[in-house]
Amino acid sequence: MATPPDPNTENSLFDRAPCGLMRCAEDGRFLLVNHTFCEWLGYDAEALVGQLRFQDLLTVGGRIFHHTHWLPLLEMQRSISEVKLELKHRDGSTTLPMVVNAVLRMADGVKVQDIAAYVARDRDKYERELVSSRMKLQELVTESKRLHEEARDRALFAEQMIGIVSHDLRNPISTIQMATTLLQHAVVDKAQRSIVERIFRSTQRANRLLVDLLDFTQARLGRGLSTTLQPIDLHSTIREAIEEFSLNHPGRLQHATVGEGACTADPNRLVQLVGNLVGNALTYGNDETPVTVTSRVSPQRFSIRVHNFGPPIPSATLSKVFEPMTRGTTATSVQRSVGLGLFIVRQIAQAHGGTASVTSSAEHGTAFEIDVPST
Amino acid sequence: MSVAVRNRVRVVGSGKATLVFAHGFGCDQNMWRLLVPTYADRFRIVLFDLVGSGGSDLTAFDVQKYATLQGYADDVLEIVEEFASAPVIFVGHSVSATIGILAGIKAPAAFAGHVMIGPSPCYINDGEYVGGFTRADIESLLDTLESNYLGWSSNMAPAIMGAREQPELGIELTNSFCRTDPEIAKHFARVTFLSDHRAELPQLTAPALIVQCNDDLIAPLTVGSYMQRKLPNGTLRVIDNVGHCPHLSSPGQCASAMDEFMAAQGW
Repeated sequence: MATPPDPNTENSLFDRAPCGLMRCAEDGRFLLVNHTFCEWLGYDAEALVGQLRFQDLLTVGGRIFHHTHWLPLLEMQRSISEVKLELKHRDGSTTLPMVVNAVLRMADGVKVQDIAAYVARDRDKYERELVSSRMKLQELVTESKRLHEEARDRALFAEQMIGIVSHDLRNPISTIQMATTLLQHAVVDKAQRSIVERIFRSTQRANRLLVDLLDFTQARLGRGLSTTLQPIDLHSTIREAIEEFSLNHPGRLQHATVGEGACTADPNRLVQLVGNLVGNALTYGNDETPVTVTSRVSPQRFSIRVHNFGPPIPSATLSKVFEPMTRGTTATSVQRSVGLGLFIVRQIAQAHGGTASVTSSAEHGTAFEIDVPST
Repeated sequence: MSVAVRNRVRVVGSGKATLVFAHGFGCDQNMWRLLVPTYADRFRIVLFDLVGSGGSDLTAFDVQKYATLQGYADDVLEIVEEFASAPVIFVGHSVSATIGILAGIKAPAAFAGHVMIGPSPCYINDGEYVGGFTRADIESLLDTLESNYLGWSSNMAPAIMGAREQPELGIELTNSFCRTDPEIAKHFARVTFLSDHRAELPQLTAPALIVQCNDDLIAPLTVGSYMQRKLPNGTLRVIDNVGHCPHLSSPGQCASAMDEFMAAQGW
């Protein structure tokens, strides 16, 4: 290579500029090229000028891009900027990422392209990292969406199965229940009668369980619990609900009333609710202590409270007691339910526009209460 | 969504026949700016952007629908149905020539003829067939596209680049040329350059003009003559042009080839 030109001349500003500078004919043939550009790519100016076209230095992808984007843009706008291309080194094995600007202008009556280029290795590397992390992120998002949808489908399927099974079990169970009622009247032998009564109680429990399961799936599937509100007498509704238990637990149940009984509610739902709460109280409360149900009506609200003495609900469990599948751990396996009862209680309270709450201590026992303001 | 908004359809000029101009891979309907004035006094002219390009409605871009060129061809049929009046000559550049072929095969009655500028039914070499590229070349293009987001995040700026001598290039134009979402551009590139519609060529019976450049990297000379052999009613015109966009760089030659072809058909 010739001796470096004097760095103070105008000529060297072109030749030694800190970027590649070149002038090409309209078809891309090199007409003039500076030292910096030649040095970057390992060429002598003589090997480029009149010998090669700018696009000959590009990768195939870059050449297609040059055809589909660069040339039409240059024709339409007379300029193009910030194009990033890989330029091939003369050694043929390496490429240099360069950011390129070009202007189409007239020089001595013919169209020429003036091009400036600078090497952008760090920028290229960083941008590639950005692109690849963006792709990774998209994959993760897609994957997590898929997992989420699968989980939702599984949950939905499980809940639908519960709904179907519990619905289909109702018929055989009510047949057993009816048959047992008939047997209760027919059987005279005392021992046999006691067996029939056990069958009857278990069937009742199974029935309540099924109703809860059905309601649970309904609530979970987003349809909510259905209620049919009507004017009722709360006290007599509650009394009837308790009587069902009194037969099997003589003397343990007490009913207290406050105020007149008239209010608006779904009586069947309230019977279900009291059934769940009293069932729990009888199961978890101390065997020899009473379970007290208080129904209270005032012009502003009505409430139902079910109280029992016995070991308190642990405070850790207390906050989650209305969630589905939660249950006290102290009960023996025979006493366990599947843990839907209190969830249903809260759903019924909410369906009436009210709330369900619980307090529990060793000293004062455990009390569940639903409170419904008058609308 | 209306077809007009989806494809940013523009109608200019008037005449007995309709020219539907379809741009190729890379830019948008502005590619036709030098040919439109030539024909606007004799033809009704319909211009549009392929979905995903230029000023089309990007929300209409559906990866499934546009996974093949047929998706674009179906759009063309809707545009012709709504905006063109017969006889219709479809002028397609590059990949849009293929889109026109697919549309023409699906609805032969909709088109009187086809003008194909730099067409290629298959860009990838395959045995005896020379499309010009290998799969690795196309991967390299996708890589280049990934590094360039022209007009998407940054933009060309003629004013600061010293192109003031071209006042007609307004801001509106500079903002839309070649504007593409990089993801859509890559998708379109893949669909375009990996497409192979050689088998369909014999089914297009309408008269077709192939405008072939003598120096075009994207559509080499061999491709033009291949198409003429396979199209039942094809005419090949080779013009002297470097590059893939003769309608921009050699509009005069393009127009005279088109004029001759259309005169022969009596349009």
